[in-house]
Amino acid sequence: MSKLLTVTPTRCIGCRTCEVACAFRHAQEGLPGRSRVQVRIVAKDVFVPVLCLQCDEAACVKACPVFALWRSQETGAIEVRQDRCIRCNACVPACPFGNMSVENPRKAVIKCDVCNGDPACAQFCPTKALEYREY
Amino acid sequence: MLNLDINGRRVSARRGTMLLAAIREAGFDVPTLCHHEVLEPYGACRLCLVEVRRPGRKAGRIVTSCSYPVEAGLLVETDTPAVRETRREVLDLLLARAPNASRVRELAAECGLYRSSYPPDQNRDNCILCNLCVRICAKLGFNAISAAGRGPKREIQPPLGEPPADCVGCGSCARICPTDNISLVERAGKRRIWERDFEMVRCKQCGKAYITREYLASRLGQSGLPESHFETCDECSRAALAKTMFAHLVPSEKGDAA
Repeated sequence: MSKLLTVTPTRCIGCRTCEVACAFRHAQEGLPGRSRVQVRIVAKDVFVPVLCLQCDEAACVKACPVFALWRSQETGAIEVRQDRCIRCNACVPACPFGNMSVENPRKAVIKCDVCNGDPACAQFCPTKALEYREY
Repeated sequence: MLNLDINGRRVSARRGTMLLAAIREAGFDVPTLCHHEVLEPYGACRLCLVEVRRPGRKAGRIVTSCSYPVEAGLLVETDTPAVRETRREVLDLLLARAPNASRVRELAAECGLYRSSYPPDQNRDNCILCNLCVRICAKLGFNAISAAGRGPKREIQPPLGEPPADCVGCGSCARICPTDNISLVERAGKRRIWERDFEMVRCKQCGKAYITREYLASRLGQSGLPESHFETCDECSRAALAKTMFAHLVPSEKGDAA
């Protein structure tokens, strides 16, 4: 098994550096609203970074009518092939964990693809709540 | 596999692939408006023009790369004066047709066109008849819209111009439209597209309307996914995931987290 992007919520301090890092890596404008990772506040001072779980039997892949979503051989992550996506948005409600989102100006769906094996969020996380490591 | 020459670079491509795919594979860019990877080539926008020359021939000719299959030994140039000039002319016409479409304006500006030299078509919308909406709809299996009329009267519409019975209100046509010409309005739990109103399913937790009833039924049937997947909106699903993750990792704080 290759590397996995792991989340350890107990270490998260809610600084949202991951959101900004993600937005800068994937969108030129660096708007946190376009981030593929989201820090949720579960209770007072309890933060959980939420991102795609790269499910083995992924609902998004099943929901896609044109096979625009597939698993990368190198990273094991499910990627959106933007040139194949027909903007039907079927995968967005299909994901039981809500990790498919729509990027507004292009209306394309976006999801975490572990940055092709070098996730920006893990790189910038100051407390290692997000880690990219051998499993 | 066969070999051809793109901008002086030797490239191999599988027989049957289109020139556009080979050009993009080789790392060169050709603008398109009507092309889509999952659809058959259509050749409507005429922007993907390139110059091709068969070996041994002197004269090259301009073809649409999206619908031209690769040939062995073909010499392809994507950025010659002839290509630039023809593309500029096409954009000039597109700009007259759809003066408000941002994608068209961007592409026109790239070749120095800011206003069309043709009189702008005042009475028309921004449709450039690329048929992407029609083809996407057919690809999804709904076939709710089609092109009707001939010549200058040609336009995209539902059968007989009435609210389409086969439409499920998925909105793919509106999102794929390169000129943002298809109106999709969501208000008070209803989505209006092609003059038809669709009742939307609301999130069980927050009440946000996020998918039309008809589209949900169609997706459930095709994907074989359980209905429980679609009960909450993406925001609420994410919140639930965060709670579950925390509860699993910190059993002692389960009470606080939940």
